[in-house]
Amino acid sequence: MEQILFYAFALLAIGSALLVINLKNTARALFLFFITLFAMAGLFLFALADFVAIVQVMVYVGGVLILMIFAFMLSNKELLTDLQSISSRFIAIPNWQSMLVTLGFLAVLIYSIVEWKDQTPDWIVNNINTNNIIAATDNNIEQLGIKFMTQYILPFEIISIFLLMALIGAAHLSRKEENR
Amino acid sequence: MTELLLHIIVPVAIFGFIAVFTLFAVYAERKIAGFVQDRLGPMETGKYGLLQTIADILKLLQKELITPKAADSILFAAAPIVIFGAVFLGFSVIPWAPDFLPANTNTGLFFIMAIVSIDAIGILMAGWGSNNKYSLLGAIRAIAQMISYEIPVGLSLIAAVMITQTLNLNDIAFNQGILTNEPIYFLGLWDVSQVGGFLAWNIFQAPHLIVVYVIFFIASLAECNRAPFDIPEAESELIGGFHTEYGGIRFAFIFLAEYAMMFLVAMLGVVIFLGGWNTPLPNIGSLRLAEWTTGLFWGIFWTLSKSLFIVGVQMWIRWTLPRFRADQLMTLCWKIMIPLAFICMGISAIWRILVMI
Repeated sequence: MEQILFYAFALLAIGSALLVINLKNTARALFLFFITLFAMAGLFLFALADFVAIVQVMVYVGGVLILMIFAFMLSNKELLTDLQSISSRFIAIPNWQSMLVTLGFLAVLIYSIVEWKDQTPDWIVNNINTNNIIAATDNNIEQLGIKFMTQYILPFEIISIFLLMALIGAAHLSRKEENR
Repeated sequence: MTELLLHIIVPVAIFGFIAVFTLFAVYAERKIAGFVQDRLGPMETGKYGLLQTIADILKLLQKELITPKAADSILFAAAPIVIFGAVFLGFSVIPWAPDFLPANTNTGLFFIMAIVSIDAIGILMAGWGSNNKYSLLGAIRAIAQMISYEIPVGLSLIAAVMITQTLNLNDIAFNQGILTNEPIYFLGLWDVSQVGGFLAWNIFQAPHLIVVYVIFFIASLAECNRAPFDIPEAESELIGGFHTEYGGIRFAFIFLAEYAMMFLVAMLGVVIFLGGWNTPLPNIGSLRLAEWTTGLFWGIFWTLSKSLFIVGVQMWIRWTLPRFRADQLMTLCWKIMIPLAFICMGISAIWRILVMI
């Protein structure tokens, strides 16, 4: 049952992602992107990362995707048709650039899978032997909270300051100039 | 096999409940509107108009599905499903009685907040797919409002979660009554673990949580796009907002989603702040009222009656207060409710460290 669901989610993610980049209708593509992100959240669940899955739904679906749709709605119609005329030719330069990047990434993934299959790192073998693994019913959020406040406190604080900077910057940019 | 069957029966049961609830909530809403405006409300169909909403739904189900010629047919058809699906999924983690809930997860509360934000995508889909300026304007207003009001909702929930120390809605409900394993203090002073009743509810565990609940209630009204926050639907300006073009069963689903959302936020508020399925009657000496009124059926009864009461208050507010202007709406959210929620969050942290140790 779990395997069927996993492959269903994987198929949904890949299929909808392929459709997203091939659709001519940008609005439909953006709404379809929602399915891709949602399927990705489902795949995170299979890695027992329920917190990451929910964050994926909350941040990407509830925030980033709506932002993208708004950006699409507010952008110039002629600019969009311009972009479409470039990407319609198959042997255009942007296509080959992206091809190179994706092939490189695929090579890295395949290389890592082959390497790990032959010789699994010692710490993974040790943890499996001592039964030090996450179960589906474990409370991951509590673990995350403790780790964030102890081991990873510096990165956590740096990220929060960074986000605060972005927030202040956004507020500054959108403020009305009064003395003009 | 029985497990698989259970996975099918539970959603169907919840769907049936939502449908029946919507039918009677619409009737109740029209009667309350009649009472507030000093008229009778529906009286023609059946005794006291009781069959009015059943007649309405039969009419809606028989209607032809009309898609406007200029509309984006796929988005137009998919939007009601997304809107209803998002709200329907929210019901999957809310407890009805002790250990009686569809899914007992450690991330229940967080899951609801994430899932409900999908509702916004559905509304935008409906507004864009209709290809109608009133629909699009309504959808844009709805998104602006829902995203803004998600922040006070989130902050008020965080303030409560800081006190309860868990995101599991089942555990949150357990820690507000006599079945708890942890000591509960009324206002941080008096141990009421054995007394139970309304004294053990979260809003009385720390005094500032009453303010937090008021913030949550107001912000959740805005999340459901209910009056006085119904500028996305504003009949006088936008005809019907994002659902202008919808008819027949598609409109029925949007309508169902609105009432399901009302019940969902009412139930969420009840579980987190008002004790969930716990009885409001405390143990007084040898009069063990709390113990007598705790159990599976009592739990469902208390959850239902508390939630329906909150839904009633939502309806009462809708027919009493006039609609906000868009700028007033944003002022209320960003200048009053968010700072207040932040202050309450700070108080929660201090309360947890200094009082509840």
